[in-house]
Amino acid sequence: MQELDMDARYIPSGNIVAREIEGELIIVPLVSGIGDIDDELFSVNETGKVIWDRLDGKTSLTQVVQLLADQYSVSRQEMEQDVRGFVGELLKRKMITDARASPASS
Amino acid sequence: MTAEYATVTQLPQYHLWDRTKGKRIPYSFDLELTARCNNSCRHCYINLPRNDRDAIKRELTAEDIASITDQAVSLGSLWCLITGGEPLLRDDFSEIYTLLKRKGLLVGLFTNACLISEEHISLFKRYPPRDIEVTVYGATKETYEKVTRRPGSYAAFRRGLDLLLERGVKVRLKAMALRSTVHELPEISRFCRTYTKDYFRFDPLLHLRYDGNKKRNAEIMAERLLPEEVVAIEQADQERADSLLRGCDELIIPALKNQESNRLFTCGAGVKSFTIGHDGYFRLCSSLWHPGCVYDLRKGSLKDAWEHFVPQVLGLRSSDRDFLEKCRKCPIINLCLWCPAHAYLEAGRMDAWCQYFCEVAHARAKALEKRAGLSQ
Ligand code: SF4
Ligand code: SF4
Repeated sequence: MQELDMDARYIPSGNIVAREIEGELIIVPLVSGIGDIDDELFSVNETGKVIWDRLDGKTSLTQVVQLLADQYSVSRQEMEQDVRGFVGELLKRKMITDARASPASS
Repeated sequence: MTAEYATVTQLPQYHLWDRTKGKRIPYSFDLELTARCNNSCRHCYINLPRNDRDAIKRELTAEDIASITDQAVSLGSLWCLITGGEPLLRDDFSEIYTLLKRKGLLVGLFTNACLISEEHISLFKRYPPRDIEVTVYGATKETYEKVTRRPGSYAAFRRGLDLLLERGVKVRLKAMALRSTVHELPEISRFCRTYTKDYFRFDPLLHLRYDGNKKRNAEIMAERLLPEEVVAIEQADQERADSLLRGCDELIIPALKNQESNRLFTCGAGVKSFTIGHDGYFRLCSSLWHPGCVYDLRKGSLKDAWEHFVPQVLGLRSSDRDFLEKCRKCPIINLCLWCPAHAYLEAGRMDAWCQYFCEVAHARAKALEKRAGLSQ
C-alpha cells in the first residue's frame, strides 16, 4: 500500500454521495470509475463511520487519530492502525480527496 | 479486506434488507417523468401524444422533482426508476437525471431508445445509470412500426440502441408478446439475446389504460393473446417454465381457500416502494390509479403520503361476495394478473373479478400441474 501522509487532511470526494439509510452509512458512486458500480454496495460500519465523520478537510489524520483515541480510550497506536486501514481503502476507491489539493475545500 | 471498517456487498445480499424485513420503508420508487410518448404503441396503458399541451402542463417541474426526491431520500429511498411515457421527451431530462444521481440514488431508466442522442451518451458515461431497459417492439421494421404506429421509429430505435451499445452503456432488453408481434417472437428473442446477457423473457400480460380511454382500451384488448397462447409461450421457455415449477408451492397455495380476510391488498404495494406520477400524484404502485388511492403531492408531502395515507389504503376492505368467494380465496392468485389495481383498470372496481385474467391463470395452473406431474 502507498505510504499515507498523516499530515494530510481529507474530504469526501465530489464524485461520491455519502448517505444514511436506517442508521447505516453507505457510499454511492456518482461518476464512473469509482468503486465497482455494478451490483455492489459500499457500506461503512460503526468504526468506519466515526473515522469518516472526522474527514472534514480541516483535521489532519494525525489529529483524527488523537481525537478518536481520546474519545474511545484506546491507544494511539491502535487507532492509527484503524485510520490508516480505512483511509487507505477510501483512497484506493477514490472516495476521498486531499483537501490541500482540492479548491472546493478552501 | 474492508471488513473492519466497511463492507462491500452485493446489493441483494445487503444485511439492511433483512434487518428491516417487517418494516415499511420506501427503498425504491418509480418516477414517471411524463405521460407523453413519441410513439403510439397499441398495447400501451399511458402514452399521450408527444405535444399534448394539457399533459405538459400537468408535469412536475425539475424543481418539484428535486423537492420530492429530497423527501424520498430522507425516507430511505435508494433506487429510482425513471419511466414514462417516454422520459427522453422531456427537454430537462439531463437536469433531472443528474439531480437524482446527485441525491445519491441508484438510477434506472425505461426508454424506447428512439431519442437517444450523443448528449445522453456523454451523460450516461459520466454518471452511469444502474440500468437502462429498452423494449423491443419487433425485430423488423414492419412489426416494430405496426406496434408503435410511427413511421421511422424502427430506424430511430436501431440508431439509439446502437449508440448505447457501441459506447458501452449497459442495456437490458425486454419484449412484449402481443397479437401484433406473436408471429415474430423467435426473431425478437434472437435479437434480444444477441444484445443482452441478462435472462430475457416475453411479457404477455397487458393491463388497461390509466385514463380509461375506451378506444385505446379496445386496442389493448385486441393485442392480448389467448390464454393458451400465453401458456404455450411460457412453457416453450425452458428456463422460465422450470423456475415456475420450482416455485410451484408459492404459486399454487391450496390453503388460501380457507382464508377469512376481507382485505383488498395482500401484495407489496406501498411496503417497500411507491410511484410518483407525471402529474404529481403519489401512487402506491405504478398500476394503482384508483382516485381514492392516490395522493396529490402538490397539496401535501411525501412523508404524509407514506406515513399516513398509505396505511389507510392498505387497510381497505371489501364486502363484495363474489370477491370474497373468488379472488380473495383463490389458490392460484399468484399466477394471476388479478390485483386491486388491475381490477380497477379492467372493470372500474378494485374488487371486481376479471374474466381474462382468470382464464390465463387457470391455463397457467393447468400447465404447471401437468409439468409437475410429468417431472415426478
Ligand atoms: S400492481 Fe397490483 S399486485 Fe402489483 S403492487 Fe400494485 S396493487 Fe399490488
Ligand atoms: S381472477 Fe380468477 S384466477 Fe385470478 S385471482 Fe380471481 S379467481 Fe383467482
